[in-house]
Amino acid sequence: MQASRARLFKEYKEVQREKVADPDIQLVCDDTNIFKWTALIKGPSETPFEGGVFQLVFSVPEQYPLQPPQVRFLTKIFHPNVHFKTGEICLDILKNAWSPAWTLQSVCRAIIALMAHPEPDSPLNCDSGNLLRSGDVRGYQSMARMYTRLAASPKKG
Amino acid sequence: MEGEEDYGVSEEEEYIYADDGDSLDGLADNDDSALQWAPPKVITKESLLAAQWEDLQRVMDVLSLKEHHARTLLIHYRWDVEKLLAVLVEKGKSCLFTESGVTVVENLEHDMPLTSSSTITCDICIEDTSGDNATRMECGHCFCNDCWTEHFIIKINEGQSRRIQCMAHRCSAICDEAIVRNLVRRRHPDLAEKFDRFLLESYIEDNKMVKWCPSTPHCGNAIRVEEDEFCEVECSCGLQFCFSCLSEAHSPCSCLMWERWSKKCHDESETVNWITVHTKPCPKCHKPVEKNGGCNLVSCICGQSFCWVCGGATGRDHTWSRIAGHSCGRYKEDREKQTERAKRDLYRYMHYHNRFKAHTDSFKLESKLKESILDKVSIAEERELRLKDFSWVTNGLNRLFRSRRVLSYSYPFAFYMFGEEFFKDEMTDEEREIKKNLFEDQQEQLESNVEKLSMFLEEPFQQFNQDKVMEIRMRVINVSVIIDQLCQKMYECIESDLLGSLHLGTHHIAPYKSKGIERASELSSCRNTKLGSTDEYLPCGGTLECDRPSGSGSSDDSGCSYRKRAKKEGGGFFDLNLPAEIVDRN
Repeated sequence: MQASRARLFKEYKEVQREKVADPDIQLVCDDTNIFKWTALIKGPSETPFEGGVFQLVFSVPEQYPLQPPQVRFLTKIFHPNVHFKTGEICLDILKNAWSPAWTLQSVCRAIIALMAHPEPDSPLNCDSGNLLRSGDVRGYQSMARMYTRLAASPKKG
Repeated sequence: MEGEEDYGVSEEEEYIYADDGDSLDGLADNDDSALQWAPPKVITKESLLAAQWEDLQRVMDVLSLKEHHARTLLIHYRWDVEKLLAVLVEKGKSCLFTESGVTVVENLEHDMPLTSSSTITCDICIEDTSGDNATRMECGHCFCNDCWTEHFIIKINEGQSRRIQCMAHRCSAICDEAIVRNLVRRRHPDLAEKFDRFLLESYIEDNKMVKWCPSTPHCGNAIRVEEDEFCEVECSCGLQFCFSCLSEAHSPCSCLMWERWSKKCHDESETVNWITVHTKPCPKCHKPVEKNGGCNLVSCICGQSFCWVCGGATGRDHTWSRIAGHSCGRYKEDREKQTERAKRDLYRYMHYHNRFKAHTDSFKLESKLKESILDKVSIAEERELRLKDFSWVTNGLNRLFRSRRVLSYSYPFAFYMFGEEFFKDEMTDEEREIKKNLFEDQQEQLESNVEKLSMFLEEPFQQFNQDKVMEIRMRVINVSVIIDQLCQKMYECIESDLLGSLHLGTHHIAPYKSKGIERASELSSCRNTKLGSTDEYLPCGGTLECDRPSGSGSSDDSGCSYRKRAKKEGGGFFDLNLPAEIVDRN
């Protein structure tokens, strides 16, 4: 447990230092609990998520970094590999392909990459997966864009 | 595989025996293939290491690898050396290695040497540490020892000892078992032992030619078969079982048939069937009601009356022409047929089950009989007879047990072979009838001879005079030979005439062995018996030392063959089936 705390503390310092370097990711640690983190990530450009800001919550286990953190979307998102209701994410590096060399920051980067490159063959959101699998890219994009606008866009004036 | 006795019986003179007392057993070894057949091996706790070592050695020699690399490869290929070599030939060495997670680094010079003076930043805990507190795996990734240890402990506890991968991202290299062992041992010695055991037991659990003996309580042994996984074996603990499905030895039933049969007998699903055929549920209290006579207006004990024909509730009034509150004159042919069929199926099952049970029961009774017969033998031996050798009694008894089993399992076989469950569309009714007659003829012949043998053996021969003893001896020997041949023929018939053209793929049947279920021989527990010197091939870093049983590698234990065992058990000239209780006693 001490090891995970120490490592998270190191990551915290690293985040403070890198803040400017990666403007797409804003990683924040809970004030009272170092095992709870939240992140705001920007939807990648040239995707239906562009312009949206998505909130992620991290729950870090005590065996971290030897075991992966649990991450889910708090913001509603229409994506084949994200559960529409719970926000659970289906990503190999969060399950069996986890390596202790990953950090919370790099997990965020991986999630951004997943948003840009969905894998419709292992869907958590079947409707979204089916649209892509049947080749209806337009349908998928307009649905995703609609939800980005409804749920992930900063309120205008 | 020849016994100690000289059989002296050729095929032509099977039925005519010279009365010189030499050809006592009359069990010609007519199975030539038995000579080439490699017997199954018992792998005990002690010999597990040696068994594993044989395969490791082969792979290490062919690919000139270190032990842990060979193990990683073999675990990936489920200890199938042939398969592994085939992949090597087909795809080449580097493909073989990367698929299994083996990294063989030829030169490590370009890497920084890890010394106490050098400083390394571990990417896991992001701490700086001195070089002697860090470990570089063969894949080149280097992390601090604390992080490695934590990683190993988590993986071992997750049950992944056999394939612990490097911590680096997307690196699928398998960690060197010596490093794992040494690092884990420093913190949790018992966990390191567990790790070693997992690696060792992989040889059994990941290997389709090796299985744990299913004995309860477990005898600690595993059995390795050499060629055919569809066979019946006897473990050195005395348990006989079907290697393929790990239940009791059940040939000539196939595993699938036996599984269905035991389930059927266990569930008594036919009882349920009987209830559906012979009763109807009361429309009010839903209890099954059996009609014990009379007209079709039935009253349940709850007071409700209902129509037996349609099962609907009715009033109490009943006249010749109609039942009050009810009319269902129409006769439903469908339902009638269904009932008829269910009834027929039930009788069919009962037919086979009764016979199966009768023979199984006889087998149990005869096992008890063995003792009293052996008493008779000792009485007879004390008398002053010209004939001193009574091995024919034991041989006859063993033949009886063996054939009883064949006979009892032949009934569930017939039940499925000629039933509709497996082969409904595989043969026409006509074919089925012909096959059925063929099989039943053989079964009948076997049955009558088995009963004959049982009868002869029960005769009070210890009181007979010289001539009568000789006569009964001849009879026992003759019937034994006939029974052996009949069993052989029955198996042949099943294989070539009955199943031959059908689903042989799903119905493998363990071959008939004249001498009974093969007793697995002990595997030598000495590593490298062939090469003589063990020191040369110690695992690197002196690992596995703690697992090596001290002194168990003596050559005395090795090669404890069937012949030796037979002698030990006294009087057992032939390796025939003994019932389990008797084996235990020996």
